[in-house]
Amino acid sequence: MSRSRLRVLVACLAALAIVVPLAWMWQSSLLPSSYSVMDMGVVDLGGGPAPVEGHAGHGGQAAAGARVAPTETSVDDLVADAEGPPDVSEELVAAHGTITLESGRKVTGYSLNGTSPGPLIEATEGDLVEVTVRNESVPDGMTLHWHGIDVPNSVDGVAGVTQDAVKVGEEHTYRFVAEDPGTYWYHSHQVSHEQVIGGLFGSLVVHPADARPDAPVDALAVAHTYSGTRTLNGEEGDVAFVAEPGTEVRVRVANTDNGPVEVWSGAPYVVRAVDGFDLNEPTPVTGRSVTLTAGARVDLEVTAPEDGSALRVQVGGATALIIGPAGSKAAEVEQPREKLDLLHYGSPAPLPFETSDPDRVFDYDIGRRPGFLDGRPGLWWTVNGRMYPEVPMYIVREGDVVLMRVHNASNEDHPMHLHGHHAVVLSRDGEKATGSPWWVDSLHVDQDETYEIAFVADNPGLWMDHCHQLKHAAEGLMAHLMYDGVDTPYLIGGAADNHPE
Amino acid sequence: MKSAYKVMAYIVAALVIVQSASMVFASAGLGIYIEDGGVLDAAAMESEDLSFTGVAGFIVHGINGMIVIPLLALALLIVSFFARTPGAVRNAAIILGLVVLQVALGLFGHENAYIGLLHGVNALVLFAAALHTGRSAGKAEVTTREDRAPAAV
Repeated sequence: MSRSRLRVLVACLAALAIVVPLAWMWQSSLLPSSYSVMDMGVVDLGGGPAPVEGHAGHGGQAAAGARVAPTETSVDDLVADAEGPPDVSEELVAAHGTITLESGRKVTGYSLNGTSPGPLIEATEGDLVEVTVRNESVPDGMTLHWHGIDVPNSVDGVAGVTQDAVKVGEEHTYRFVAEDPGTYWYHSHQVSHEQVIGGLFGSLVVHPADARPDAPVDALAVAHTYSGTRTLNGEEGDVAFVAEPGTEVRVRVANTDNGPVEVWSGAPYVVRAVDGFDLNEPTPVTGRSVTLTAGARVDLEVTAPEDGSALRVQVGGATALIIGPAGSKAAEVEQPREKLDLLHYGSPAPLPFETSDPDRVFDYDIGRRPGFLDGRPGLWWTVNGRMYPEVPMYIVREGDVVLMRVHNASNEDHPMHLHGHHAVVLSRDGEKATGSPWWVDSLHVDQDETYEIAFVADNPGLWMDHCHQLKHAAEGLMAHLMYDGVDTPYLIGGAADNHPE
Repeated sequence: MKSAYKVMAYIVAALVIVQSASMVFASAGLGIYIEDGGVLDAAAMESEDLSFTGVAGFIVHGINGMIVIPLLALALLIVSFFARTPGAVRNAAIILGLVVLQVALGLFGHENAYIGLLHGVNALVLFAAALHTGRSAGKAEVTTREDRAPAAV
């Protein structure tokens, strides 16, 4: 062989050595047009027992065809344990098009009953809530997910996991008992990275059954960014909330955006609740802001000033709730440099379960690396070192005490949202929580932080555990918590074109 | 292949210019937006829906820097095997290495601003390397042509 031919051969081999692995990686990253969440991912038993023999799905061994084996519970059967007429009944119509915000601004997006945010749904602790939604014109189909409410799995509203997307002209009914008083919200979980930021959401408040007659007045402050415009309850800038001097106000702040906002006030405030759960013996806070991560809620208690002026509760740099008599003004308040650390806020109280000897210990280690996601090159998120769809399936049995270590080594913040459960924060970077029990459904995990959280697996089903920067979820930053013996007849993709993220 | 190699090296250099231009375009636009009363915080950044002149600079910088340039640098390495130019593979490998370093510095700059300084410095190193690679490939091309030219009679 001549020298020049040899050169060409070596060059070809060298090129193939680069191209072939890349082509293989590209090809193997392509997702089928339709698949079950039962067939994707990496089984993680967390040190607990393996699923019972013959359990279809887990481990990607499921046969095509009949999806739910007879021995399994279908997500469809995990329904509210309540018969009869609902205490709260709501009919919603979802639409796509031009919406007019409370501020008068017109944006293209999604609405419920013609508005965004959609109607506030109010219930009292223990109420049976029934919401029927009809899709009038959302082209991709839509669902409703009850963010932060530990609903039965069948009404969790995740397209392709617990239901099919509701197509144009169709309707779907959600029934659940509002067991835990608190501030929640609801939003679409079909193509959610477009529909939620586009406005397909609303808030939901569950009032306590034994509310004191002198309980603080409720004020709502729902933060959302429409096409780059920051709003609070759909209004822009300073938003008035009329209250007589001396009135105690419970400001229910919800962050429906993709990134965290800081919340602070011109006067001392008390953080009454986080993610719907009251804190134990919270104390007044001054000179600190509280971080509200994407999807999270916080209830702040403030008092309208006695002198007839107004109090400013600032939600991010652009919007504020101005609490005081009609027409009153509130001075600007500089953003505090310090942040409230909920790890040490309030007083400790016994937890309802023992966390020292968990049945399952899971790692949720978030990273980032170059690769292909469904054929698209880029830098993508990893969970425990692997990219979607090789994300963990955390397997649990009902009654298990679960400890999860969430570590973020990805150079960006992540608001981690576990469906169907509330977890209690045990520690951050090894530092033990010493304050009030801090229950979360949406946890802000900053760069290089490690949180240890614990929860009881007490709500059987298939539950997403994902980043609520919904674009990150669409880029594969999601996993599932799966109860042994539960299966789903629904498919990602499929005839209903389900795309939960 | 030699001219393809040269052109691709020059394109890498040109895209580095696009990177620096788009970043200054974006930060200038952001400055004006804030001067005019606009607010930027984490929620606004994550919404990726900000509307000010220059916002496209962030998007261009991200796509160009994390996808286009790395793919081009990889393609340059593959082409270098066939370029038959002294130092072609070495230069292409250096460029690819600098690109990987640049992406890493860009990402780590999200958690430490001082790393951003290095990102800016490395951009110039990468630019110089790409320019040098293009020029030396060009020279080699000329030399080869001269070699092949029929000898004067």
